[in-house]
Amino acid sequence: MRKQFKKTIMDLSLHDERIVMILGDVSVYLFKDFNDKYPNRLFNMGICENTLISVVAGLSSQGLVPFVHTIAPFVTERSFEQIKLDMCYNKFGGNIVSCGASFDYAWDGATHHCYTDLAILRLLPGIEVIQPGSYKELDVLLRSQYDNGNTTYFRLSDHPHEIDLPVQFGKGAVIKDIGAEITVMTAGPLLGNVLEACRDLPVNLIYFHTIKPIDRELVARYSRTKILVIHDAFGLYEAICEVPNLRVSYHGLSDEFCGWYGAVHDIRRKLGLDPKSLKEFIKNTIEKTGS
Amino acid sequence: MIPVCKEIRKEILKISNASGHGHIPTCFSIVEIMYAVYSNMKHYPKNPLWEERDVFLLSKGHAALGHYCTLAKLGYFDIKRVYSFGSFMSDFGCHADRFKVPGIEASTGSLGHGIGLAVGMALAFKLKKTDRRVFVVIGDGESNEGTIWEAVMVATNVGLDNLTIIYDNNMSHGRGLQIRNPAERFRAFSCEVVEVDGHDIDALGPEIAKRGNKVRVVVANTVKGYGCKTFVQDQYAWHRRSPNDSELEMLLRELDEETI
Repeated sequence: MRKQFKKTIMDLSLHDERIVMILGDVSVYLFKDFNDKYPNRLFNMGICENTLISVVAGLSSQGLVPFVHTIAPFVTERSFEQIKLDMCYNKFGGNIVSCGASFDYAWDGATHHCYTDLAILRLLPGIEVIQPGSYKELDVLLRSQYDNGNTTYFRLSDHPHEIDLPVQFGKGAVIKDIGAEITVMTAGPLLGNVLEACRDLPVNLIYFHTIKPIDRELVARYSRTKILVIHDAFGLYEAICEVPNLRVSYHGLSDEFCGWYGAVHDIRRKLGLDPKSLKEFIKNTIEKTGS
Repeated sequence: MIPVCKEIRKEILKISNASGHGHIPTCFSIVEIMYAVYSNMKHYPKNPLWEERDVFLLSKGHAALGHYCTLAKLGYFDIKRVYSFGSFMSDFGCHADRFKVPGIEASTGSLGHGIGLAVGMALAFKLKKTDRRVFVVIGDGESNEGTIWEAVMVATNVGLDNLTIIYDNNMSHGRGLQIRNPAERFRAFSCEVVEVDGHDIDALGPEIAKRGNKVRVVVANTVKGYGCKTFVQDQYAWHRRSPNDSELEMLLRELDEETI
């Protein structure tokens, strides 16, 4: 997805001289051609995420359109107060683009896992929180949101899904609606696993790429069903719970650090988020619900 | 003490007394600094958003009352408005809100943030090829924050010769994590550093006006509570409190007599 990010940025930069890229010593080689073409518009400012955010806010205050890009836990969890105050409170908007969230860097262990970013950032007034699941979603949402003056968080993934869906900021997508009594809701790249698990099961399936603002209208449409949120991060469940009078539960992370290494599919299997485990879990939920 | 700085200090005392909110000694240490910066930067109080203006940021945002009184003295707004300081629905909070107060370029308060914003602004001016400058006041206590030094590293690395950092060396750091050799540290970070008496307008002005070819740091040696011996002798007690009526009278008298 980072390649798509670079591709879209290259395209946008052809017509927008205000774009400035701030890298935290990540994706530097990837952006080499951008740097070759626009040597004064890219800065690898090093490993100082708090300051990267403050600098982005300062650039924004003077009418530039900055992007800051580095690894998810460091640019969000570590830099939360800078995002809160320098960007959101001051309304010096810009684009925060992370990589490696959830368990994309599974092999690096818990220091590099990041599953609270969506949940904590969505609490900040005025921010937009986006978890693109596919290349297309990233491309469309980047183009539509990058220059709206708000602080926008884009959470990239190295494991996008390949499902082609209509994309509009703030709008969820109905993947499957069979009038079932259980509705599965998910977001981001995990859709691949969730769709595979749900394909032959009597459930509805709803998908989101925008965590904030959540598509409340779409969620409310399924308020008469039992909603099962399946996600490999925190944030989506909490966003869905904004809608009143739901019967909603969450399947994904538990209250413990993920102490395993390996690849993302290993962690997902351990957490019960692989297609087979998900299918079993959803079948059990259906049986318990009696539908 | 030049008369205008004495007048600013008197307003700080009176507003603190009227409002019940303080942080007076930290305001008193930077009155000359702020007055010297505004006297040497491009700004236009009648049009605070003038597009050619230089930018001043108060990274040690808890000295907002001092900043308000300075801006009022310069003509940004009527000082009477500041007497609502810290009250419900006031535009003048104990930390400034850029959307409410003319001349405030960024809302600061959490220490260690303003300098990073200043670096971003100075970089923006370089990218836009304008000669506008950025001045930022940081505190010595604030400089315990790692983000201060991150920001300085970034600023020197990208060559921000349009950024001037004024380091208010009022010995707040002495309470905890001490920074005994600030000028040496800034030099080690590749800044152009001068050290001056932070209460001497004649010494401050030319050093602030200068623009070299590096990030410029003015280490301003100041006294927390400068002007009133009561503050200087009992800094801890007065860090945040405001004077009652009789204390106000005493402090105004001390100020007139320039007891320190």
